[in-house]
Amino acid sequence: MSTGQTILEIKGLNKYFGPTHANKNIDFTLKTGEIHGLIGENGSGKSTLISQIAGLYGHDSGEMILKGQHYDPQSPIDANDHKISMVMQELGVVGTLPAGMNVFLGRTDKFTKFGIINKKQLNREAQAIFEKWDLPRVPMNKLTDGMMIETRKMIELARALSVDPDILILDEITQSLSLNNRRKLVDLINKLKEDGKSIIVITHDVEELIEITDTITVLRDGAVVGNVMSAETTPDEIKQMMVGRAMEGGYYREDMVPEYGDEVVLSVKNVTVKGEIEDISFDLHKGEILGFCGLSDSGIHSIGKAVYGLSKLQKGTIHLNEKNADIKSAPQALRSNMGYVPKDRDNEALMIHASIRDNFVLPSLTELQGPIAFLSPAKLSRLASETSKQLSVKMTGIGQPMDALSGGNKQKVNFGRWLAKDLKVLVLDCPTRGVDVGVKAYIYSLMKQAKKDGISIVLISDELTEILGMSDRLFVMKDGKITKEIRRDEDFTEQSVIGVMI
Amino acid sequence: MSNEKTSDLTIELKKERAGQIKFAIGFVVVFFALLVLFHVITGGQFLSGDKITVVLLHSIWPTFAAWALCFIFASGYTDLSLGGIMVLGSVSACIFGNWYGYIGVVLGGLIVGLVLTFINFNIFAFTKIPSWIASIILALIYEAIAFGMKMGASTKSLVDTELNRDYRLLGKLPWSFIIMLVCLVIVYYIYNRTTVGTNIRAIGGNADVSKALGINITKTLLGIGVISGILVGIACFMQESYAGRVTVKTGLTSINMILQPMAIYLLAKVLEKKMNIIIAVPFCSFIIYAVFNVLSSLGVPSGTLQESVLGLFIVVFGVIGQMGVKGVVK
Repeated sequence: MSTGQTILEIKGLNKYFGPTHANKNIDFTLKTGEIHGLIGENGSGKSTLISQIAGLYGHDSGEMILKGQHYDPQSPIDANDHKISMVMQELGVVGTLPAGMNVFLGRTDKFTKFGIINKKQLNREAQAIFEKWDLPRVPMNKLTDGMMIETRKMIELARALSVDPDILILDEITQSLSLNNRRKLVDLINKLKEDGKSIIVITHDVEELIEITDTITVLRDGAVVGNVMSAETTPDEIKQMMVGRAMEGGYYREDMVPEYGDEVVLSVKNVTVKGEIEDISFDLHKGEILGFCGLSDSGIHSIGKAVYGLSKLQKGTIHLNEKNADIKSAPQALRSNMGYVPKDRDNEALMIHASIRDNFVLPSLTELQGPIAFLSPAKLSRLASETSKQLSVKMTGIGQPMDALSGGNKQKVNFGRWLAKDLKVLVLDCPTRGVDVGVKAYIYSLMKQAKKDGISIVLISDELTEILGMSDRLFVMKDGKITKEIRRDEDFTEQSVIGVMI
Repeated sequence: MSNEKTSDLTIELKKERAGQIKFAIGFVVVFFALLVLFHVITGGQFLSGDKITVVLLHSIWPTFAAWALCFIFASGYTDLSLGGIMVLGSVSACIFGNWYGYIGVVLGGLIVGLVLTFINFNIFAFTKIPSWIASIILALIYEAIAFGMKMGASTKSLVDTELNRDYRLLGKLPWSFIIMLVCLVIVYYIYNRTTVGTNIRAIGGNADVSKALGINITKTLLGIGVISGILVGIACFMQESYAGRVTVKTGLTSINMILQPMAIYLLAKVLEKKMNIIIAVPFCSFIIYAVFNVLSSLGVPSGTLQESVLGLFIVVFGVIGQMGVKGVVK
């Protein structure tokens, strides 16, 4: 097919989950060589739509036409056979299998002779995909368990590319990636476009979406509310279409002066975690937002774990001044009024199969318990109900399991449960990963309020705009070391940070 | 850029290979050091041909049961009824063996092991009852069937008729060892190098991902039923060939039959980070029965006390094996 021809046409697609009408009469057209953005608030039906295209769900009514033929994939493998593949927001890899095997999982037959899989050939082909698309190197024989979320996403991307797709669907993948790998991904998308392939991109970063796509479809409450050409729109127009009203006020702080107390709340001295960070020292002041940014292997995410007592320190101390105590473990950090929101919320933060109520109350159990450690169910439910109402979590009730929530609503629980506590220090690692503009704005407002209330925040992020928008000071990291400190009233720009980062 | 990456990976692979060789050498050294230690502890009795033969012979049938557990646990399921199946399979191997000779021994154990384990996995796959609960119910049923066959019998006759001594060759050296070596190669390939083995490990690692990538969960579960059923079946006739008899169990005491295979699995699991679990199983089986043998030589009463010492041994081994491992070990 030549570039610009319609490759996929969707007409009047409907999908129901019980009483929920998740996709309402969706019309959607994708052309060859087109990068098509999909955007909408959490729960707007984006993931449901692409899941139907990728064969994860069937549709209840409507029609899909692929290359002029009726298209109704029965499974993701069926979609792969039609040259459609997807990297999903929440799917992941199988930790008990090596990276190479994860790339071809479900399709190992082509490497099988007399029932035996030729692992060498499989790994060689997996490696070739990584090399062809210039993806960061991954040891193919190593189990994926324990690999960084970013590396796991790269394996998923290689898996999607391994079917040589005509249509590649990327569901919120960029927000798992650091700056350097995001750039690589954009290059990859453009390379695919040059080859006449079509790409559907979902991201909550409106600016990024406008920059990398040709066209954008906006969804709200399960229905398409607009189709725009990326070159002819603005972030404000997109945001307005998403939420159905004009977004008032800015996301980030508008002041350009660092504002925090003199009191040092937390002192980190010469901290080294073997193979991760080296000789890290900094002071965190009362009411300060201290940012950390860097490329994928810079060690920024290890800072959060170390500060919250989750890493074994080879050297150095983390001293909480108010308690006059060195933080050596996570329970001690929790008892000392510290909180931690990790980047990998599904694996490191939430009890994904437990109820929303259980997830909300978990960090506050000590405060909630009565005599002889009795936990009153009424008290627990009250806390969960009040906090979820305050955060506008979209759910059927606090008894609903966490895994039924959309990414943004999970993040509201992940973040919001700490606000029910009397915190002194809050460590946030990519707090807005996978959340829409509305939730993002809300999380920033919560951060601003926390700062006003005197809570000190360590903010780690792969998004430079976030770090620059919210921090009083920031540290740029490279190869596990701090390479530069910049205050909000100094040269606080992307250029000055990127210059040191790379 | 690409060449740099390839050479980095080659270096990494070489490092990994060097690490594996280093571990293999270390393992062999520790293994023989343990044997020497046992020899010293028992006052120079352990390293004799007779003792080694007894330990080796005793360790073979639990090796098969432990391999079956490798497949079952890798898939994220639990089957506590395997002991009950082993009792019925061994009884069947004995009865049919006495009637039809070696064909009866082999088929008697194999068919019962395979059919009942396959039934179990059908129940797990289709009823969606948590496997540990369903398997306890099934264990009670299998115990009741075995007991029903002996209804009204005296306690003494709950020990089934002995297998004719003419048909016990499969429980003796070198045959039992040869069968184990052949099965080691086959099981290794099924677990590590076949699509069904990969799918089994995949559904245990992440069932949602596996499903999304087109792996048929039900079919894979039934595959576990077949593979582990064959291994349980082999364990049944090897056990009967080695011991010549089996005692009918009631009140869930059949679970005792798989406690030692579970201990072997646990020990092998500890070594899994450095050594393939299927290869680790026979070594661990030998070590565990060597420990039992040493304890008997030292006069430690068999049963609970010996098993407590074994438990302690596994815990110590486990702690050493997990040193340096980050995160939670589930």
